[in-house]
Amino acid sequence: MTRLDRRAFLRTTAAAGAVTLAAPGIARAAGYPERNINVIIPTREGGGADRNFRAFAEVWKTKLGTDFEPGFFPGASGRVGYEVYMGKNEPDAYSLIFGNMGPEVLNWAMQAPESFSVEDYFYFGRVDVDPGCLFVGAESKLQTMDDIVAAGKERVLNVGTSRMAHPASIGLLALGEVTGAQFNLIPLSGGKNTVAGAVTGEVDFSVLTSGTVIAAGDAVKTLLVFGENRVGDGLDNAPSMNEVYGTDLPEMLSSRAFAIHKKAADDYPDRFQILQDSFKATFEDPALLDAYVELGGTPEYLSYGGVEECAAFMQAMLELGAKYKPLLTGA
Amino acid sequence: MGETASLLVEVFFHTIGFWWVIIPTIFLGLIVGGIPGFSAANTIIILMPLTLAMDVETGIVFMVTLYCAARMGAGIPAILVNIPGTAGAAATPLDGYPMAKAGKGQQALSISFVASCIGGLLTTLIALATMPLLARVGFYMHSVEMIVVMLFGISLIASIAAQDMVKGLIAGFLGLMIGSIGTDVVYATPRGTMGFLELYDGVPLIPALVGLFAVSEAFLIIEKRVIISEDAEPKSPNWHDTFEGVQIALSRWWHIVWTSLIGLVIGVIPGAGASIASFVAYQQSRTYSKTPEKYGTGHPEGLIAPESANNGVTSGTLVPLLVLGIPGGATAAIMLVVMQFHGVGFGPSLFQRQPEVGYGMFMAMAVAYLFMFFTILPLSRYMSHVTTVPTIYLAPLIISFTLVGGFVPREYMFDMYLALAFGVLGYIARRTGYHVAAILIGVILGPLLERYFLLALKKSGGDITVLFSSTLGNILWIALAISLLLPVWFERRRKRQATEVPAE
Repeated sequence: MTRLDRRAFLRTTAAAGAVTLAAPGIARAAGYPERNINVIIPTREGGGADRNFRAFAEVWKTKLGTDFEPGFFPGASGRVGYEVYMGKNEPDAYSLIFGNMGPEVLNWAMQAPESFSVEDYFYFGRVDVDPGCLFVGAESKLQTMDDIVAAGKERVLNVGTSRMAHPASIGLLALGEVTGAQFNLIPLSGGKNTVAGAVTGEVDFSVLTSGTVIAAGDAVKTLLVFGENRVGDGLDNAPSMNEVYGTDLPEMLSSRAFAIHKKAADDYPDRFQILQDSFKATFEDPALLDAYVELGGTPEYLSYGGVEECAAFMQAMLELGAKYKPLLTGA
Repeated sequence: MGETASLLVEVFFHTIGFWWVIIPTIFLGLIVGGIPGFSAANTIIILMPLTLAMDVETGIVFMVTLYCAARMGAGIPAILVNIPGTAGAAATPLDGYPMAKAGKGQQALSISFVASCIGGLLTTLIALATMPLLARVGFYMHSVEMIVVMLFGISLIASIAAQDMVKGLIAGFLGLMIGSIGTDVVYATPRGTMGFLELYDGVPLIPALVGLFAVSEAFLIIEKRVIISEDAEPKSPNWHDTFEGVQIALSRWWHIVWTSLIGLVIGVIPGAGASIASFVAYQQSRTYSKTPEKYGTGHPEGLIAPESANNGVTSGTLVPLLVLGIPGGATAAIMLVVMQFHGVGFGPSLFQRQPEVGYGMFMAMAVAYLFMFFTILPLSRYMSHVTTVPTIYLAPLIISFTLVGGFVPREYMFDMYLALAFGVLGYIARRTGYHVAAILIGVILGPLLERYFLLALKKSGGDITVLFSSTLGNILWIALAISLLLPVWFERRRKRQATEVPAE
């Protein structure tokens, strides 16, 4: 006959109590996810976000045990997608948004729409980091940063950017402050036109997310990266701005990440925990890199980031947006 | 030179070996081009898993053939039922549809196919021969020069307004006002969006296009028994009409040549597209015609000009892609993504590293146009049947197709309502004698004109004299002035001669 040990009894009682107290949460989480998870993508089908999403979702679904259903809501520099997510989707952790933190948070900072607040959602899973860079056309007379700074002190240089509220635009404005060169940002509506502007001489040079610049091949030459040059020769071994000019500018990134309603994370912490854990587990699976490369991603840009990293970047974008708002909005 | 020539011949015959890809893709292209809202670009996106699974050569042949066939396919519903499937075909119904209504749908289709094939084939060969030179066009055509090019197209409003100047100009200005809805291109300030987020990026083109042309047309034809005019001679489809169309087009071969060259030159400018080219070609064709008064009534030259030009654009967009690594349009941008997946790097060194890929794209286009000529032409006799289908069946079909077409590009229900709203606007305009084409030119070209204008001003720090700051720009201004004044001078001369004849 087994004698009841006092210590064992106390341990068992404590464990049983803890299980009882946590039971509702576990019961709820145990059933999660019961159905597919909807993901709002605030850009067009077939674009970079679509490809990154498909690569990531292919592996994440195996960790989470359910599939993801993307819904594309392009328009107004991403705002339509956020309006749909914040206004029409239930905050129940069955609905996420896959956005581009840099330009989309900056866009909010410029427009400050009353319909939703950046406090009401937060990013919890960063997929990649793609720094902005400065590049010239292969035939440009400006072939070095010294050429650009010297010319920018003699006259105002026209600089192409995909749109005013873009991290690369902020990188350029910061460059102007530190070097004293004068720049006039020219929004050329999209990456393709921004590359074309620099190549054909419509503008003196351009700034853009580096992924698009790498794709332009030898038609362009990269001179400076507003962040870390993770691809070396792919960006002509261009140095980082902080390295050359001694600045402490945060990385000016195009950075895609999953976000969730704040209310969903507050009301269903267990579900949110499952999302976070499975997201992290996805990064630890080598299949992710294969899927990412297969769909045309730059492997060096695949980079895990959790709630803290995303929050720090979002805060930096909001602060820089507020600082440069008059220059970016013409206000 | 000899090596390049032998490589070209080798690539040409090698490409013909892909007939098993080309022929089915031509039919797929015709279908997706003919359905409003669909295009080569979104079809390649939908079929991307398939495209990525193909080897490089098959992928090139598939994408290029789909691109050419979709461009040609967009002209078919534009001619037969007044539905331009894409903005590039928006000028096609101006003369194509009146021909169909007059019972000459079969001839109109043949003219369109011949103009498209010859225009496309010719510009492909010219682009191949003069690629390095053509690639330089983009280096000279900047925002200032593009403002003038836009004005060439927009001046069509004045030509259309000639019959009733006040109503024509009101329609044109209404179109320009509708075109200015959305955020401005510099600071993204919303204007005239009426609180609709769906209008932040401007009025979507396809719903406007199908609404103004097709939905309003459906409302009108429901009042008749068939599309074809009651007084048109009822005919069963026959080879004679097909060959008559071919003969009409071939007898105007010079017209095909120079209007397709307009398309080629506009196509090589990054960012410019088929809609600009087709309107500019139509305007130029009308300006230098001996019978400008026939335009808009079913004149073959009014159909040849936009069709040759928009197929000229197809070859033109490949030039900046291959030589500079800059895609000239949406389809070329998607081709770039697919080719990069296969390890093909575009840009200046492509022809040194992988000449067979560079030449292969042009050869695929040339072979696709050759195959299209023989596969599509016989279809015109069957396609023209559409104009004899009773409108009680046709009108609901047109409305359903166009509403789905309005929905497809962005998948917003809002766009379907917008197409209906434009349909009502188009119906009222037609009933009251306002020309819907004038409204549409404003809607399509207005935002482009504004974009180039604001960019030029932003670059110059707000100095308006920037409009006259470039030599090429100034030459274009003079050409624009001549093309606006010439018709007036021709008209006066005609009137003078008319008054002189009775005196004799």
